[in-house]
Amino acid sequence: MSSRSFHSVFMVASCAAAALGCYLVSLRVASERAQLEGVETKIVLAQRDLRVLQTEIGTRGRLSQLERWNAGAFALSAPSAGQFLRGGFELARLAQPERNVDFQAPVVLASAPAPAEPKPLSTGPETDDAAAPPSNTPSSLLHQASLKTETREVPARTVVTLPQTIAKSTDKPVSAAKPAHKQSMEKPGLAAAHQAVKKAAPKAVMAATKKSVDKAVGTSARPMTKPVRLAKLDPLAPLPGRHSGNTRESAAER
Amino acid sequence: MNAPSPALVAQRPERLRLVGQRRQLLAIMHQRLMFGMLVYAGIVAIIALRILYLAAFGDHAGRREELTAYVPERGDIVDRNGDALARTIDAWTIAIHPTKVIGDKLALAQRLAQLMPEYSEAQYFALLRSNKPFFYLRRRASPALVEAVNAIGEPGLAIEREPDRLYPQTSLAAHVIGYTDIDGHGMAGMERAFDQYLSDPATRGRPLTLSIDSRVQQALEHELLDAMTHFSAIGAAGVVMDVHTGEVLAMTSLPQLNPNDAGNGSPEARFNRATLGVYELGSTFKPFTVAMAMDLGIVKSFGQIYNCPDELHVYGHVVHDTEPYGRQCSVAEIMKASSNIGTAQIADQVGADRQKAFLKKMGFLDPVNVELKERGRTLTPGSRWGPFETMTVGFGHGIAVTPLHLATGYATLFNGGVYHPATLLKIGPGHPVPQGVRVFTEDTSYKMRSLIRLVVLKGTGRKADAPGYRVGGKTGTAEKLANGHYTSAAVVTSFAGVFPMDDPRYVMVMMLDDPKPTKETYGFHTAAWNIGPAFGVAVARIAPLLGVQPDMQREPDMSLVLPYVRDDQPKKD
Repeated sequence: MSSRSFHSVFMVASCAAAALGCYLVSLRVASERAQLEGVETKIVLAQRDLRVLQTEIGTRGRLSQLERWNAGAFALSAPSAGQFLRGGFELARLAQPERNVDFQAPVVLASAPAPAEPKPLSTGPETDDAAAPPSNTPSSLLHQASLKTETREVPARTVVTLPQTIAKSTDKPVSAAKPAHKQSMEKPGLAAAHQAVKKAAPKAVMAATKKSVDKAVGTSARPMTKPVRLAKLDPLAPLPGRHSGNTRESAAER
Repeated sequence: MNAPSPALVAQRPERLRLVGQRRQLLAIMHQRLMFGMLVYAGIVAIIALRILYLAAFGDHAGRREELTAYVPERGDIVDRNGDALARTIDAWTIAIHPTKVIGDKLALAQRLAQLMPEYSEAQYFALLRSNKPFFYLRRRASPALVEAVNAIGEPGLAIEREPDRLYPQTSLAAHVIGYTDIDGHGMAGMERAFDQYLSDPATRGRPLTLSIDSRVQQALEHELLDAMTHFSAIGAAGVVMDVHTGEVLAMTSLPQLNPNDAGNGSPEARFNRATLGVYELGSTFKPFTVAMAMDLGIVKSFGQIYNCPDELHVYGHVVHDTEPYGRQCSVAEIMKASSNIGTAQIADQVGADRQKAFLKKMGFLDPVNVELKERGRTLTPGSRWGPFETMTVGFGHGIAVTPLHLATGYATLFNGGVYHPATLLKIGPGHPVPQGVRVFTEDTSYKMRSLIRLVVLKGTGRKADAPGYRVGGKTGTAEKLANGHYTSAAVVTSFAGVFPMDDPRYVMVMMLDDPKPTKETYGFHTAAWNIGPAFGVAVARIAPLLGVQPDMQREPDMSLVLPYVRDDQPKKD
């Protein structure tokens, strides 16, 4: 038999195969779609359940119920006007202790030195006023105002050079240095200023704090060859002892 | 085959004719058969094509529209933050078919009476023996009850689920939301006003978003209820409104109503005092009178002097002040001490026609413009609106409006002078702010800020101040009409205020109906003593919710009024 005579058979067979293929694809699509619908139905059912649960939670936690709990147990109230902050700065201000004015503290004035030729220590006789070497450290820009007139009457005979022990002691925290100075305990405002001013050692200041410093000077006196150190404490800051006490108290208050 | 040659057989002519006829017939039959087959094949082809088409693109019979989203039986109502205020849930319903009961009817009646004691055992038994086909025993039954009834195991009992309206926040904003009947049709409030929207299958999928803020609503309701209980008032109403858009953020009417069980609420509780009740709101009207006079150029400065005698005899009547000045007084002082005599003179200068025109523009002469259907008709002097009535209307007597009217009026006065109708729907996409109507000039609106702030800083509204929130407002005490006569025994006290006064954003109106004097108020029952303090507390609670920052430094321009106030007068209301 020639292939020509089977031609029609092949045609029918291939058509049938194609139709079957198409049908299978469509069947597959239909089943996928049915599955999808099943999932969608599940989603809707889940949505309905969600609604039921949300409604139940909303009903149990309704605002009037919360209000009742608040009245009975929590006793929370709306914040007052002073409890609102307008930004980071106001928030930071809360963390800082309040600065209360200490009338006992020394009046510290800022003063800039006139630009003058640095005078070597050895040349010429030194007066009381010229005792301090001119330097641009912050401590040299400050001088302490004082009303202690009786101490000023005591003349300072010699140039008091700053002993190293004292210079070192300025590095320590003020609280550590404090017990040594009886006067500064009595007049607490002076303590911080002492630490700052001491290493520059202007004569007037030394005279004012004579009692406390003289002993130390007596024990060890060395020529002032050490480099001048910068103050580590702010002379304008309030008393450290009180200061820390305040912080603790205010922290406890909050 | 039927055509032998004529040469072979000499056929008879009739037979030949017959052969010709058969051939013809056969041809016709072929034709018809072919036609029938074609028709048949065509139908089969159409069916096959249709099947193919359906297989490729068609839907099956069970497929529903919008399967991906749950559409409730009735649309939700939510507040402006999307919290649900009304929802439809599936509730359990217990019913009975007395004719289908097969067990012992007496025992069943006993058990039912135990479980549902609303009817007695005898009543249940009578019901079971009747020939009624169907009877509801309980709608909206609790799951525990359903379980117990199901445990009886009687086939005549029918336990079904049916959609039911639930208000999760119970009494919160009940008068705004309203309630539905047992068949789910809106009977009051927004349920009634938007019944079509909520029940239409096309729209009910999207919730109805109200302008109400439920937190503000709760705060207002709570503070108002506190005041109402404290002063033993018979009712109260409150409105909080955005002055720029007219959105009502909170609106309440007390006594409370539980919309889940509205049928058992008293008529008093179902009554919406905020939009349906009209009240003479007294001195809270005075700022309108002054603003009208300023707009018309009658009052040019708050330092303008009027004569404030102890009593004013006009048009055959006498106008009194509770604590009269008895001297010349400035407009600022008139407002500060809430002087009827001074305001009456200003109103007289404004005149009846212009006063009516202003009130008309603010919507005070019509039922309040809001979506609700419960709207009260304003009471005015009507045809008797003469010169004396102009004076009384000027200080808030002889005209009765709803608290929502008053809130809308204050919003108009302090938002720059433009009237926007109140709305209970959230302003946003799809619901823009409607075109406003200018009533007062911007300048008047600006100057009035200082005047109204003065009342709270130094005048009758001092107890309503909330520190830092710059409240400005006016007290109002009006005597109630009893048996045709005004009586000082029963009053309606109100406070209308705006905050923050240096840049007005929200207006709040609070009203107490018939508050009683208490020991702390030294026997007074005026607004300054009862609703004033409540207003201050409410503002301190509501303003932070609305994002108003307290600020002790900011104030409106008080230099407009302070120079014209002499601090020698005791306060009064």
